[in-house]
Order: sequence, then C-alpha cells, then structure tokens
Amino acid sequence: MQQPRLTRRALLATGAGVALARPAGAGSSVLRVRSYADMQVIDPGFTRASPEGDIARCLFRQLIQYKSGTSWEWELDAAEKIEQADPLTIAFALKPGIAWSGGFGTMTADDVRYSFERIADPAVKSPFHGDWATLDHVEVTGPLTGVIHLRQPFAPLWLSTLPWNAGMILCRKAMEQAGGRFTTEPPATCGPYMLKSWQPKQRTVFARNPDYVGAAADFDEIDVLPIEDAKTAELAFAAGELDITATSVGSLPNLRKATPAGAKLVVRPSIAFTWIGMNVAVPPFDDVRVRRAVQRAIDVDTILDAVYFGGATRATGIVAPGLLGHRDTKPLARDMDAAKRLLAEAGKSGGFACALDILNVTDRLTAAQIVQANLGELGIEVQINVHDSGTYWTLGDQSKGDAWKRLNLLLQRYTTAPDPSWATTWFVPSQIGVWNWERWDSPEFGALHAKALVEFDRAARAAMYVRMQDLMEESGAYLFLTHEVSSVLHRDSVSPGLMPDARFILPAMRHA
Amino acid sequence: MMRYALRRLLLAMAIVLCATSLLFCLIFVLPGDPTAVALGPMASAAMRADFARRMGLDRPLAEQFLRFLAHMLAGNLGRDVFADRPVATIILDALPHTLALTVFGLGWAVLIGIPAGCWAAVRPDGWFDRISGVLAVAAIAVPSFVVALYALLLFAETLRWLPAIGAGEPGHPVDQLRHLVLPSLAIGLGWVGYLARLVRSSMLEVLAENHVRTARAYGIGERRVVFRYALRLAVLPTIALLGVSVGHLLSGAVFAEIVFARPGLGKLVYDAVITRNYPLVSGTVLVTTALFACCTLAADLLVAGLDPRVRAAL
Repeated sequence: MQQPRLTRRALLATGAGVALARPAGAGSSVLRVRSYADMQVIDPGFTRASPEGDIARCLFRQLIQYKSGTSWEWELDAAEKIEQADPLTIAFALKPGIAWSGGFGTMTADDVRYSFERIADPAVKSPFHGDWATLDHVEVTGPLTGVIHLRQPFAPLWLSTLPWNAGMILCRKAMEQAGGRFTTEPPATCGPYMLKSWQPKQRTVFARNPDYVGAAADFDEIDVLPIEDAKTAELAFAAGELDITATSVGSLPNLRKATPAGAKLVVRPSIAFTWIGMNVAVPPFDDVRVRRAVQRAIDVDTILDAVYFGGATRATGIVAPGLLGHRDTKPLARDMDAAKRLLAEAGKSGGFACALDILNVTDRLTAAQIVQANLGELGIEVQINVHDSGTYWTLGDQSKGDAWKRLNLLLQRYTTAPDPSWATTWFVPSQIGVWNWERWDSPEFGALHAKALVEFDRAARAAMYVRMQDLMEESGAYLFLTHEVSSVLHRDSVSPGLMPDARFILPAMRHA
Repeated sequence: MMRYALRRLLLAMAIVLCATSLLFCLIFVLPGDPTAVALGPMASAAMRADFARRMGLDRPLAEQFLRFLAHMLAGNLGRDVFADRPVATIILDALPHTLALTVFGLGWAVLIGIPAGCWAAVRPDGWFDRISGVLAVAAIAVPSFVVALYALLLFAETLRWLPAIGAGEPGHPVDQLRHLVLPSLAIGLGWVGYLARLVRSSMLEVLAENHVRTARAYGIGERRVVFRYALRLAVLPTIALLGVSVGHLLSGAVFAEIVFARPGLGKLVYDAVITRNYPLVSGTVLVTTALFACCTLAADLLVAGLDPRVRAAL
C-alpha cells in the first residue's frame, strides 16, 4: 500500500487552496457593518445599548423616525399623518397595509396603544418608563387612527421619545402570545429588514423585508458584525471585511491625512459630554473657592490634545452644539494666578491631597494624569483611582454604601438622547446620591429642568437650558471638557445612513 | 493504574469544586451592582429591587451559593442576567470556538516546537541549534498581542491571504480553518518557543543516558534511537506542560478573541465579570476549570501510560 507523501509542493498547493477558498456571497448586495457590541435584548422596552437600538430600527417601525443628515430632524415613518393638537394631545393616522411577519395581520392603532402604554406601565418595569412618564393613555379612534393623551406637556416627546426606542411599535397579538416581552427573537416584525439569522458574538444577518410598505431597503442583506475593539474594526475595514465602521478617535489624525483608497471619512460632533466633577459634600470641595480654583487650574486644551489628538473641541456645557440649549459662550480659560488666589482665599494655599476616580479606559487615564500634573502645580496632590465599569458605576450611588463619601474629583462621561432634558436630568436635586454624584443641590436648576420639560417655545426653552449650564459652571462643581467627536469610515460605494452624531440608521444605508 | 486514575479523577473533581466555589464567593466580594448595569440609569429603585429579587441576588451569599451548587449538580447553570438565555446554551455556543482556538494554538507548538527541539538536540551547537535557540527565545519574548497585530497587518490587510475577523461561516470548515490560522498563531507562537527549548534540554539529557548509549552500541540506527527511544522519554515533561498550558491558552484566548473579534469563553467570562453577570461568571468558570482539570488529568494519565517508571511508582 502506498503511503501518502507530504511534499513541499503539496503543502504549498494546499496552503494556497486554503488561502483562496472564500465563503460564498462576496459581490452580492450585502452591507457589512461593524457594531461595537452584540445584541442581547432587542425588545425596544428593554434594550441595553445603542447597537440594539440600531438593530431594532431594522425590524420595527415608529410613528416618526430620525432623518439621516447633519441636523436633528424627524420624518414620518409608520404614520401617514401626525400632529400636536394641543400640548396634551397628539393625533396620528397610520399608513395602511403595514404587514406584521408571522401572519399577524397589519399594524393598527391598537398596536400603537399597546406599545406606548406597555412602556409607560410601571408594572412592566421598562427602564425607558421615563420616556412615557407623562403618558395618560392612547385613545384608539379607528383601525388606523388614534390620539396620544398626556397628563402634562412633554417637550422632549418629538425628539427623544417618538423617534427613539420608546416610540417603536410592536404587534400586540404577537407580543401577548409571547408573554409580553422578548429578548432576541421578536415574535413579529414589520421593518424594512427581517432578522435572518443570529450567531451570538459573530454576526446578525438581516434580509430585505419583501412585504415592507414604503421605500424598499436598498441592500439584499445587512450583516452586523460585533467587533468591540475599534482598532480591530479599522484593520478589518482595511482588509476589506467591512463596508462601514465607527473609528477610534486616536486614528482620526491619520485617517484625515490619508483616508484609505475607495473609502470616505465622516466626522461629526458627538452629543455625549465629558466633565470633571467635584463632590460638593466633601471637604475641601464644599468650599466654592476651592472648586473654582480647580476649574481654573486644569488645562483642558492639553487634555483634548492628548486624548483626542486635536480632533475634539472644548465644551461650554453639557448640551452639545446642534442641540437646542447649546451654550454658545467662551469656555473657561486656564488661569493659574486666579487659581492660586482662590486657593489662598480658601485657606488652602499649601495645597491638599484628594482622589480622582476614573473608569479603566486609557483615554480617561491620560486625561487624569494631566489633571494630576496641573493640580500638582497648585500643591494639590491627586491620587488617581481606576475602577472597572461594574465598580465605577456604583461609586456615587448612595444606596450602595458609603463610597460616595470618599469621592472627591470625578472624570465623567455621559451619552444622551438628542433632547437637552436628557443631559440635565441627572443633575437635578432629586438625583443627588443617584446619578448626581457631585451632590450639587440647586433648587433653581431643578425648577428650570421641570419648567423646560413643558415649554414648547423653542427660544424660551433654549434660554432655560443655557441658564442651567451657567448655574453648573458658576457652582464650580463642574469643569466641562468636550462633547468628543464621532467618526465613521465607509466605502465610497455606500451612502451612509447616519444620525447627526454619526450613530447608524441601518435602514437608511444606501448604495452610493 | 486504575486506582491512580480514579484518585486523579477525584482530585480533579475536588479542584473544580474548590475553584468554582472560591470564584463564586470572590465575585460577590467585588464592589459593583448588576442591577445598575442591567437596568441602566433610568431604572427606579423599585425596578432594581424587583430585578434583584427575581435573580435571587437579594438572598444571603451562603444561600445563593448553596442554590448554585444544587443547580450545578443538577446540570442547571442558570440564566443570563441580561439576555435571559440559559447560561449552558451561551457557553455551548462559545465553547467550540475556544476549544478550536486552544487546540490549534497548541497544534502550532506541537508541530513546530517538538521537531525543532528534537533536531536542535541531535546536533547541539550546530547551525540549526543556534538559529532555533535565538528564534525560540524571540518567540517567547514577543508578546502575543504584538504577534497578533503584525500578523493581522501582514496577512490580512497587506497580503489579504487570511481573514482579519470572525470565526468563519458555520458549516464551511475551510473558511473556519482560515479564520483560525492567525489567532491560533498569535496565542501559540510563544508555546512553540517554550516547547522547542524544553524538548531540546530533555532530549540532551536522555541522549546522554545509558540505555541510549547501549542502543547505539547495538548498532541501532540513529534515527530509530532518537525517535523510538530518546524522544519517547524526552517528550514526557512536554506532555505534562501541555496539560498545564491549556489553562494559559484559555486565558490568553481573551485578547485573541478581542483582537480577532472571535466568539469564545475568554471574552465571555471577561464581559460577564465586568458587568457582574453572576450566573454567567459562575457557569463559565465551572466549564473552564473543568476543562483545565480534564486536560491536566489526561496529561498525567498519558505520562503514566508512556513511562513505565511512573507506572511502577504508582
């Protein structure tokens, strides 16, 4: 019997064969998109991260949806007509014939009622309950028509409730059959794409929904690939394995200088906000002069250069440019003489020791080290405490123990929805010990926040948010850093569907 | 031999139980709140309390531990706190990818490291011994993530011979194999160096022993002496090391899973610890510890099977 022989030539031939064997599908109308996390829950009432919202937008419809573009605007989606009759009532009419998958018929106003009231129902315990906190009920006036009745006016409804996850419409019949909620297997969908397959931690595949009512989806399939590390995603893009991906801030200077051939770079301002906070309940930060000294001593421009490589601009508040209520003012300049004077007035000219608590993210550590060096010049000795996310996000939570009493300085970052109320809501007095870790207690701020929620006059509302940010800065408890930037790299054959802050709108992705 | 195997099996089970119990308790010592992570900032205190009650997180640690043990013995690893999927299903989804990565990572080490060490020992201080010595130390010294990144840049981005990310199409073994090459090389390259050095020194020792000299005196061919008599003994420490290396490769898999965007147990347990997803942490630790114990047990039994001296000592 002849034994098989492994020759060098055979080995090379096998290697070449393995290298050239590619899976089928290349060249078809498939969009390959990077997501920074895999989906876990796509029930709109219980999503946990932004990528799950991206996925849900493929599968479900809303009365109104965000327009792809550079300004926060909405357009009709499932609604044929929608109008606010008065601050407490919104009448809508659905497009006819929006079919549910699984033989559940077509979308009705009753589905809208079920979806909105489900999230508003405290018994359902949706974390998005707050989006519909002012909902009284949805009145069904016909198979396709209804009226949303609010208990009190709610200005953010149009920009952060109806076009966001809380505005997604589910099929009542299918949901009730499924027990009222789901995680990764929606009982019925109606969006431009249908869920074709999900391989956990590998890919989620959507296929065009042939029964979609409206402009048909442009791609046969969308493959969403969960890639946590942005650098890996950039490499995968360069290797031709992705068509669109968000990129890391660190790569931005190089990508700007040399965008890969056949690719385009989109850079948009983010609506997240980062700041340095001071716990006003703990000495010496209970003295406003100390807080203001810290505000004036930190070199924010150097932090931005070191962390964002010049890609991000300074923030003047917590409401990002492009949003109503953005504070169009000059940021605080570094002034060491003023800082020294303020510290001397507070009787702390010799300095003191304090802690700066941060999340274990490289960017934050870089920023913290600059803060440490800056405050060192004032004689303030800063100890940097680095925490993992599970620990960090409970530090200021009063219900979890006394850790909040040890908080001095914080380097924080929050993301938000495109309504200014979602930026200010965390700093009201009732959030002290919950998410208001600075424990800054301003009744005026709280009152303005409540007033702005029911104010429909845009100019008056904007003025309230500007005043609220003035108060934050004047308190000395906050030093605004930046809103960061978001960047997206895409093939020039793709016309990306993006929100103004570069978050993906997958159904709006088109061939260029 | 049977008694030895049984004793080792019991020891392995005790190790699994101890490690799992220890880590179960350890994660509860960590600060952090899974309800805050699971429900986000909008959740009210009542919602968080209800979530904690449903997950049994409001019970005393001892009760939770006993419940975990009882469920574990019944084969029930619980449900994922966030995705509400059975932990066993999540682990079974990830396990094949980790096993494949570990086996292929070790494959590089065995296929390259053992022959290289053997050849170097046969002609000590020859050109091959010197070159392989330098390369082996370099392979050990270069961090795995550096290998991973350079391999990605060269083979995926520049040459485009191999894919950069993912685990390949299910049901397409050639594609899955292609997706394994770079990550397994990244985690296995260091072990190529280790094994090459270990086999070389073991071989040098064995080749100097009396029974090898006697075999040569009988006129038995050099190739047979080396591979039949010497390597069989020299490879024994390597087998023991390979058993232990599984644990290192399992932990090393985390970075490979991140850099190459692969599914697997390493990233699964990492994410679970970060998000305080207790049932998933406990389940994954149980499986990885059991895997590690099985591998060391298999290595011990193999050594006993191959070495009559070990058998005689049992």
